[in-house]
Amino acid sequence: MKRITIITGHYGSGKSEIAINLAISHSLDMLIDLDVVNPYFRSRSAHGVLKAHGVELIGSTLDKSSGSDLPYISSKGRMPFVKKDVRAIYDLAGSVSGAKVMMQYNDYVDKEDYDLFLSVNVYRPETAEKEAIMHTIAMIEGASQMTVTGLINNANLMNETKEAHLLHGQRVLKEVSEALNIPIVYTCHDRSWTPKQAYEGELFPLTLYVKSG
Amino acid sequence: MAKVLMKGNEAMALAAIKGGCDAFFGYPITPQNELPEYLSKHMKENGRVFVQAESEVAAINMVYGAGGSGARVLTSSSSPGIALKQEGISYLAGSEVPCVIINVMRGGPGLGGIQPAQSDYMQITRGGGNGDYHTLAFAPENLQETVDIIKESFTLADEYRNPVMIAADGLLGQMMEPVDLERSSNVKEAPLKPWAATGESGKRGHRNKIVSLFLDPNDLEDHNLKLQKKYNRMIDEQQRFEMIHTEDAEIVFVAYGSMARIARSAIETLREKGIKVGMIRPISIWPFPEKAFENLPKSVHTLLTLEMSLGQMIEDVKIVNQGRYKLDFFGRTGGVVPEPEEIVEKVLAMKEGAN
Repeated sequence: MKRITIITGHYGSGKSEIAINLAISHSLDMLIDLDVVNPYFRSRSAHGVLKAHGVELIGSTLDKSSGSDLPYISSKGRMPFVKKDVRAIYDLAGSVSGAKVMMQYNDYVDKEDYDLFLSVNVYRPETAEKEAIMHTIAMIEGASQMTVTGLINNANLMNETKEAHLLHGQRVLKEVSEALNIPIVYTCHDRSWTPKQAYEGELFPLTLYVKSG
Repeated sequence: MAKVLMKGNEAMALAAIKGGCDAFFGYPITPQNELPEYLSKHMKENGRVFVQAESEVAAINMVYGAGGSGARVLTSSSSPGIALKQEGISYLAGSEVPCVIINVMRGGPGLGGIQPAQSDYMQITRGGGNGDYHTLAFAPENLQETVDIIKESFTLADEYRNPVMIAADGLLGQMMEPVDLERSSNVKEAPLKPWAATGESGKRGHRNKIVSLFLDPNDLEDHNLKLQKKYNRMIDEQQRFEMIHTEDAEIVFVAYGSMARIARSAIETLREKGIKVGMIRPISIWPFPEKAFENLPKSVHTLLTLEMSLGQMIEDVKIVNQGRYKLDFFGRTGGVVPEPEEIVEKVLAMKEGAN
């Protein structure tokens, strides 16, 4: 895992859950929540669990603003790009408008130092097929001026998810992966079950923190 | 079609397209913004109309105009935005123009907050605009039910020539659930609308006028009596509800929408403890489902109204109860969503008090 990981994707693709789980499982120093689009279900609502695991959460500069839709971002969000010993994960807001927020760090970004992962749930109608996913990647890369370096298969229908759904997600993402030469880095599943088939990338069990919080 | 995973606001938007919505007019407000955002892209792709108006007042009057021309029209907003639309809604009802209004409720009064609430019950069921009028109002509990009802609501609006209100809340708007958009629902093609102002008076031979102005009091009374007949027909035909574990219940919850969802979990916990609780879940909040209270079993002694407000629907429960059962209430407000345990504790405290 590179020093800086950025999670992007269509809204509702599971970005926040993935970012929190990665931050905890890799004992990262910092999680920067850049979701300024929507005040519901964002990673800052998992404040308590992150603190318990020693992950510093950077959200709004306004205290007690977890219920606010004011688009404040702490200037501390830049720190990982400046202090080279900080291991951090960025959780962007959905799609293009969410990815735009990364533009402000453009002058600081060292290409070798970051990964930009696209989380995809093929059961979200806007990212159900190869062409739509490739379009999303092009739009996000354009808006963020960064390159997507990995795909995350997060195919799910929440608690109605079956292994067939994950396999379908993999089939679709493989087409994208081959067309754009971007690897599938993780295949996510709920911690309550373990997939039996072979998957691309690392199998990554998720504990849902935002949804329950 | 197989199920897809959708966010509530998106699912509501797509359901409107599936229900035959021709045009959307709205103005942004949290927590419903994904709804117009989704339609801003997809209405165009489906060859339909999307306009972000300059204000809520403009939006509802565009609804009035487009609906008056015979189109199937939608607007959406959240509590304070719906308050701004009330004048237009009264005009729509008064001139019998069909439309669908989605209210993704948030905490009030005034600008309030942006978290989920049910404090618009009065605003929705008692009008808010002037005059003797009613809007047909449905309060679904999960995304599948929301989708099915929104699809059907355009057909109902046309059938009654009346505004239909969908009472959702921030929780339903923002949550994600698997839904089947193609599940069969009572969706009919838009009927011929010989009353509509279509700009074809030359061919028609007479001029259609969309008005709510009647200067002669006798004419206005006649108009009101005609509307009242229609509202009575809605009361007969559109009372919708679900009875949950009422067959042997001693305490019956009355809760709708997100609160009913939370109450379901509380019922499970209480039943495990051997406490006989059930629920009447109004799906239509206007007309209020009086029929649900008609044949409750003899075991029932208390109706416990649960709301994400400090008590609005309880007034309808009082009216329908007519002194038969003991009444009690539990509510959280301001955007606070209660945990099922709080309802469990409330019931345990009631039992304690009774002993």
